[in-house]
Amino acid sequence: MTVQAINTSRSVALPDMQRIDVRGLCKTFQLAGAAIEAVRDVSFNVRRGEFVALLGPSGSGKSTVLNMIATLVKPTSGQILIDGTPVVPGQATPNVGYVFQRDTLFPWRTVADNIGYGLQLAGVPVAERKERINACLKQAGLQGFGNAYPATLSGGMRQRAALMRTLVVEPQVLLMDEPFGALDTHTKIDMHDVLLRIWEREQQTVLFVTHDLGEALTLADRIILFSARPGRIKDIFEVDFARPRNAVKIRETPRYAELFQLIWHSLGEEFIKGRSP
Amino acid sequence: MRQTRRHGRTLAWQALICVCLLSIWQWGYDLHGRLPWLVPDLLDPYFVSKPSEIFEHFLILSCLKSKLGVFNGWFNGEFGRCMARSENNLWIATAVTLKNTFFGFATGVSSGFAGGLVLGRSDRLSAIFQPFITAVNSIPRIALAPIIVLAFGIGDTSKIVTSWIVVVFLVFFNTFEGARSIDEGFVNAARLLGASEWQITRTVVIPSTMAWVFASLTPAISFALIGVIVGEFIGAERGIGRLIIESEARAEASGMMVAVIVLMLVGVALSALIWRLQAYLLRWQQHNLAE
Repeated sequence: MTVQAINTSRSVALPDMQRIDVRGLCKTFQLAGAAIEAVRDVSFNVRRGEFVALLGPSGSGKSTVLNMIATLVKPTSGQILIDGTPVVPGQATPNVGYVFQRDTLFPWRTVADNIGYGLQLAGVPVAERKERINACLKQAGLQGFGNAYPATLSGGMRQRAALMRTLVVEPQVLLMDEPFGALDTHTKIDMHDVLLRIWEREQQTVLFVTHDLGEALTLADRIILFSARPGRIKDIFEVDFARPRNAVKIRETPRYAELFQLIWHSLGEEFIKGRSP
Repeated sequence: MRQTRRHGRTLAWQALICVCLLSIWQWGYDLHGRLPWLVPDLLDPYFVSKPSEIFEHFLILSCLKSKLGVFNGWFNGEFGRCMARSENNLWIATAVTLKNTFFGFATGVSSGFAGGLVLGRSDRLSAIFQPFITAVNSIPRIALAPIIVLAFGIGDTSKIVTSWIVVVFLVFFNTFEGARSIDEGFVNAARLLGASEWQITRTVVIPSTMAWVFASLTPAISFALIGVIVGEFIGAERGIGRLIIESEARAEASGMMVAVIVLMLVGVALSALIWRLQAYLLRWQQHNLAE
């Protein structure tokens, strides 16, 4: 009887729990005396283990929303809960990893030392650190580059190393701000495969900002479409491709073309709106 | 292969230039009587001495030779007696000047670095101190040397303080600029990976300021040396600056030249040391250059 009660309470608490819960988020920037409304009343949820893409034209406030969740930007109003706990601006949330748009590898550290940075901060012993770094290097296809400095690597390799620097500490939530935006198409699709393999295995909760519809379709379970400034949620689309996905093959399916058509039109409207002053 | 040949040719040219300059210095003034329009008066050995005399004077000042022109044997005790007798011989003078330069440099670099970091990372503190720093910085610091000697006496302390005051601002401003221009992306990346403020300072702020700091160290070491020498000019019992003043009082150009050449060698050696250190600590930048 008692045992069953405990089981029930646990099974209720776990699967339905919202990992990321955003409520009524607003952000107004003060720029040279003028107030610019970047985000207006954004609310959404991300389930545990779900892969959600925030899609919209540039200037639609999607990155601002992500940065507010990441505690890099302080919201003007609204609430952000991760695992039911409000985040504190300026204070890193435990178990939340962030991947930057531009790789922010430290140029004065080797690739291995960059990847091991988070472990070093946490005081992980050298031997274990080495082991985990090596596992990451292998996973990212960077074997033999551990002792290289970031400046000697290509853009794709750098972004893989940056991804590993975030993943090595095994975050439960992954916030990604157009991480592959600066890469060429082929490198980008390679990176999609790398990310999909990792995500299928680790089942992190991912919030992925992009302005590339193809990227959002390839990766996400759900696409949240943002309108042009001020950023609001315009629409939400379920992406129902089967898992595991193949980043190249998925683009050849009729369902992909169908969803692409559907969202493309809506996204295009916002691009045009964003362009006109 | 071609590299080495080109390098060899460069060395040959450098040697040739050295020989020419030294020859003009040594024998140029001999032509003054016959060709006064060609040889400037400044080449008069009374002012600039000549290499042979300078070398002779070097041997005497360094106790390797007695004033009577006899070589001091290393084992007959004459060298030791000479060292004990002349309290500002070349060895002691160099050691004293080097020591004071080192302390002036070390204190100047460490305090300038610390101050630059703290003010560079704090908008409030830098706003408060900015007018004071600008004001003090516009004083030619070397003008404070007489006051410093007056306040700290003719001992080593006044030389170290003079040296410190010329070094500290140089390093401070460079560190300050470096700390201001840190890429906030690096700071954010570290913070989101769980770094505390102190860890951010240690692993992000200091390494990214290093290039700026090192840019100031080569001038800083010459400044430190200048500070010590000027301090010694004003009042000292020992040191190379003191040696120059003594020779000047006796109108001995060769003595001054010995001191100047020793200073040159010291300066070159110290710069090379810094350069080596920089090449090691900033080795990641070599790769930037390679690309």
